[in-house]
Amino acid sequence: MKKTIMITGGSKGLGKSLALGFAKQQHRVAICARGENDLKAVEEQIETLGAEVVATKADMSDAADVEKFVSIVEDRFGSVDVLINNASIFGPGPRQLLDYTDESFSNVLKVNLMNPFLVTKRVLPGMIANRSGSVINLTSEAGRTGFAEWGAYGISKFAIEGMAETWAAEVAEYNIRINMVDPGEIDTAMHDRAVPDCDYDLAQPEERLDVFFYLASDQSSKHNGERFEAATFVNEAGVSNE
Amino acid sequence: MNKMKAPFQVPAHLHATAPVEYRQGERDNVRLMVLDPLTGQRKHTNFHDIMNIFQAGDVLVLNQSRTIPSSLHATGTRGDVEVRLARKIDEHRFEVLLLGTTYEEGDQIYFQNGFFATVEGNGNEYPLQVVNFKLSGVSLMEFIYEYGSPIYYEYINDPWPLNKYQTVYSSTPGSIEMTSAGRAFTWGMLSSLVKKGVHLCYVTLHTSLSYYGNNKWPTPSNHPELYSIPRETVDTINDAKAEGRKVIAVGTTVVRALESAVIEGHLTQQNSVLTDLYINGNYSLKITDALLTGFHEPEASHLDLLKAFIDEAVLLEAYNEALKQEYLWHEFGDMNLIITGAS
Repeated sequence: MKKTIMITGGSKGLGKSLALGFAKQQHRVAICARGENDLKAVEEQIETLGAEVVATKADMSDAADVEKFVSIVEDRFGSVDVLINNASIFGPGPRQLLDYTDESFSNVLKVNLMNPFLVTKRVLPGMIANRSGSVINLTSEAGRTGFAEWGAYGISKFAIEGMAETWAAEVAEYNIRINMVDPGEIDTAMHDRAVPDCDYDLAQPEERLDVFFYLASDQSSKHNGERFEAATFVNEAGVSNE
Repeated sequence: MNKMKAPFQVPAHLHATAPVEYRQGERDNVRLMVLDPLTGQRKHTNFHDIMNIFQAGDVLVLNQSRTIPSSLHATGTRGDVEVRLARKIDEHRFEVLLLGTTYEEGDQIYFQNGFFATVEGNGNEYPLQVVNFKLSGVSLMEFIYEYGSPIYYEYINDPWPLNKYQTVYSSTPGSIEMTSAGRAFTWGMLSSLVKKGVHLCYVTLHTSLSYYGNNKWPTPSNHPELYSIPRETVDTINDAKAEGRKVIAVGTTVVRALESAVIEGHLTQQNSVLTDLYINGNYSLKITDALLTGFHEPEASHLDLLKAFIDEAVLLEAYNEALKQEYLWHEFGDMNLIITGAS
């Protein structure tokens, strides 16, 4: 069944792959990003695939922009069925925490943590009214293990995992599920920044989409507050996106 | 025009000028007057007492419409103007109220970024007019959210942000003014009510302008508003009515939506239809048993609607007591629950 899939940070990397992946399945896709040119390019690609799309320039760490983006999508598509909180930044680095400026630390947490908080808070009332919805938060191995020189990025992912579990416990009564996905190491600009001299092969983002398709589908209705690893997901669940 | 225009006046110090959370810390810290429509008895309490009053099996109906930024500023050959959106007509046309100067059919008005609209003619009633925006659809919504603000009436001292004009449960954007009756609810309270066995369900009714300025008010029988009632709500309420359980509307908008959708005594599913239903003392309620609402000005048609629940003289007596007890009026004010047997 066709759904409305909202993806923050949908103009590059994994967000772009997710947007195109869901568009290929003819879902309605809503994407936002701070950079307009990349966003419009993805919008055109989605239209070429024949899917409906809303693409809005917006900063998801800003409450007014969140209100604008979500309201426009609800006005256009009626509801948001799946929210993928993908947008995040790595911040400065690799850099030791001792070398972090106060401003950089604060900024990474603002972008990476306020963003999924604000968007989820804005989207949940519609999902609660519909008694249906799936929220997927992007996490990382750095959200469970503190890696040297990954700084505020990893710390923000620890917080996102806590926020996802808290929200999952609160909204379960409304038939809504909030889960987490660790996409693993993938070939993106963010990975280049985090691991500048990477000397091993990386998976492409589009190879890690199955778990998102699964969590967006009604097949995953029993999962709430859980953490999934995209790299091993297909073997575990036997689900393919093809 | 409302017959109760003369009987009472709201003194200036009872106009709620700020969201309650700025005065009392949290949005649910408002007062509640519980009014029994049969006996006229009143109880003066706080909003949390609702947790004791609502019972398992009761159905609480919420309007999920979300406030859009409905005030835009523009200029043109005839001078500066505040454009207050009144009702969306289609993808590029709105019925609006132009405040500040008079614009006529064919005039163009200019907004920020070189964006403009053309006045097409008269609206549903004077002084509303229809404007055709150059943008449409998603682009028009983007512009409205980028440059618009909530409508600030005279008693509002500060330009509160749009998120102060929302209930916690609102989602579908489209209301010109906040559906304020449910503003005091927190998710904690709603969740506790669900755990108690109260059924929550939703309608959508996008509010239009409630006041035209210069002491002009909409004609209640000529005030179209768009509404929807989903299947789940229909089933929940029809089951409750069949079993004699109470249906409690949160706001006059919910009453209007529910009562508009009755066919042969049963609530029916509706999807984005206009209602012109005027509910007043002559109207016999078919679905709604109780009403949670704010305190209304004597000229407002909302007050007429209350007379469908309660005798006019009893209502007036209660309102005069509310004034003596210094309840606060308007969208950021205190609450009034009209329900039998609880006071």
